[in-house]
Amino acid sequence: MVFITKYQAKLIMKKTSKRNRIRQTTGGKIFSIINYTFFLLIAVIMIYPFWHVLMQSFSGVNETAAGGIFLWPKGFSLSTYKSVFMNTEIWKAYGVTIFVTVTGSFVGTLLTAMTAYPLSKNRLRGGKLIMFLILFTMLFSGGMIPNYMLLKNLKLLNNIFALIIPLLISAYNVIIMKSFFQSIPDSYEEAARIDGANDVKIFFRIIIPLSKATIATITLFSAVMYWNDFFSTVLYINKKELWSLQAYLRNMLTNTAEAMSAVGVNINLTPSINATTIKAASIIIATVPILIVYPFLQKYFVKGVMIGGVKG
Amino acid sequence: MNRGVAEHSKGKRICKDIIRDKWLYFLLLPGVVFFLVFRYMPMVGLRIAFLDYNPFDPASSPFVGFDQFKKLFTSISFPKVFWNTLKISMLKSFVGFPVPIILALLLNEVSNLKFKKFTQTVLYLPHFISWVIMAGLIRSFANPTNGLINVLIEQLGGKSIDFLTSPSAFVPLLIITEVYKSMGWGTIIYFAAISGVDEQLYESASIDGANRWHKVLHITLPAIKPVIIIVFILNLGNILNAGFEQIFLLYSPLVYDVADVIDTFVYRMGIIGSDYSFSTAAGLFKSVVALVMIVGANKLAKRVGQEGIF
Repeated sequence: MVFITKYQAKLIMKKTSKRNRIRQTTGGKIFSIINYTFFLLIAVIMIYPFWHVLMQSFSGVNETAAGGIFLWPKGFSLSTYKSVFMNTEIWKAYGVTIFVTVTGSFVGTLLTAMTAYPLSKNRLRGGKLIMFLILFTMLFSGGMIPNYMLLKNLKLLNNIFALIIPLLISAYNVIIMKSFFQSIPDSYEEAARIDGANDVKIFFRIIIPLSKATIATITLFSAVMYWNDFFSTVLYINKKELWSLQAYLRNMLTNTAEAMSAVGVNINLTPSINATTIKAASIIIATVPILIVYPFLQKYFVKGVMIGGVKG
Repeated sequence: MNRGVAEHSKGKRICKDIIRDKWLYFLLLPGVVFFLVFRYMPMVGLRIAFLDYNPFDPASSPFVGFDQFKKLFTSISFPKVFWNTLKISMLKSFVGFPVPIILALLLNEVSNLKFKKFTQTVLYLPHFISWVIMAGLIRSFANPTNGLINVLIEQLGGKSIDFLTSPSAFVPLLIITEVYKSMGWGTIIYFAAISGVDEQLYESASIDGANRWHKVLHITLPAIKPVIIIVFILNLGNILNAGFEQIFLLYSPLVYDVADVIDTFVYRMGIIGSDYSFSTAAGLFKSVVALVMIVGANKLAKRVGQEGIF
């Protein structure tokens, strides 16, 4: 199990920068120039698609219909956003996703920590066996149909909790939490025990506050997973009012007629918007929340994400 | 007699330990219940692969042994689906496996910290964007009439390609977009390994007259070799995962011939077609192959003296 700590990350940066400043030969300089150019190009390739869609979403109908490169909005217009925001269905889907994301990531992380903490104690009888059973789920699983049948038997189909419960705990996150808990010195626990605290109290009062960074990391990753999940909806939900945002978008992005009717427009009556701009605007409003949490995500995954083997 | 006493006291000790840790078991309980119900119950559910499942009266489903598997392998569609899965997943690995390694090594040579950080930021981003959004972007860019890619192709004098419906262009599209989405995130693991390299190694190599290339070849690459092997093992375990979400969101009957993979097949047969036993058999086949592959690769890695993943 390898962790990159913030300190290590800084060290990597320092090390490499120092290293490269030692003696630059002509060949080295040429290499550097090519290397920088290469990564500049990569950066453009990574950013441009999102930029393109953002600019399209602010553009006029005729301009988007023609296509081409969009560095800036062509024929600036806000009418697409106006009609997308007036669509109640998309807000409903937004609401479903927000509920699922908040509940799922919060409860899921709590359960993950509760599972991982006892397993981090070597003295726990049966802990090794339980850990093995959890790890085994990473290697072998029932798969789509048995999962579907299970939820059907549990009467969870067409229930918003079908989008939450099956994804609550992942074996991977249990491993991350467990190895973090193992790095906490025993002295904390011992001191609390002398004060008469039991394990539950120790866990909530001492261990959790000590693990804020790891817990934040897992909460954020779990939130992104819930936010991006569309297949649970496809599998378990028929009722359209329980569709998650991603499932709703999928329907809209693959189907032009759906995109038009989603915003309640008749193309002949409202010529100021078209499917391309509607799709572009929808992509943007579903992506913005990810972009907002992205700096935090990045801060934390450099700080505390498990990298490397999946050793227990 | 003595042994009996020993066993008795051992049992007593276990009981004592369990009572001592009762609150730990209390914390563990919800998690254990979760894994039993939502991870192990579906495994029990795999038994319907050996039945002729009757959804209206499950209790009366007859046991048919391996008949579903026979049906699977003698069907016209499944061997093709299996081959598509292998082909797409191997092509993705073949193209996608070296890319993060090369990116990490090259980015490691970038000395400007701000530029390096910026590049990492944009490289990781697509990992956090859902396949639904990515598929939306792909559809927009690959649109045959006004998609940017085709507009550019036409400006360069080529003929517009409908990537999403053309059987010859669809698989390359899957591979390129997969590499695009995952290459940046894939570099993280190599950066972690590179950070573990002792700086003194580079310094003494410089004194001995080693250039950048020598240092990469003789210090950095050997240092990240164990990680490369781990990633390789994990890739082998995923050999029948061709990328379900991506294909599911992009494919259409026009490209079933080249792009229908085990997961999409299971979805259509099982969820849409309600042929539960047949589709579960296909799913079980996939899970077993994945298990065998990952355990086998891990053994192999250990045999050649490398650390495995478990």
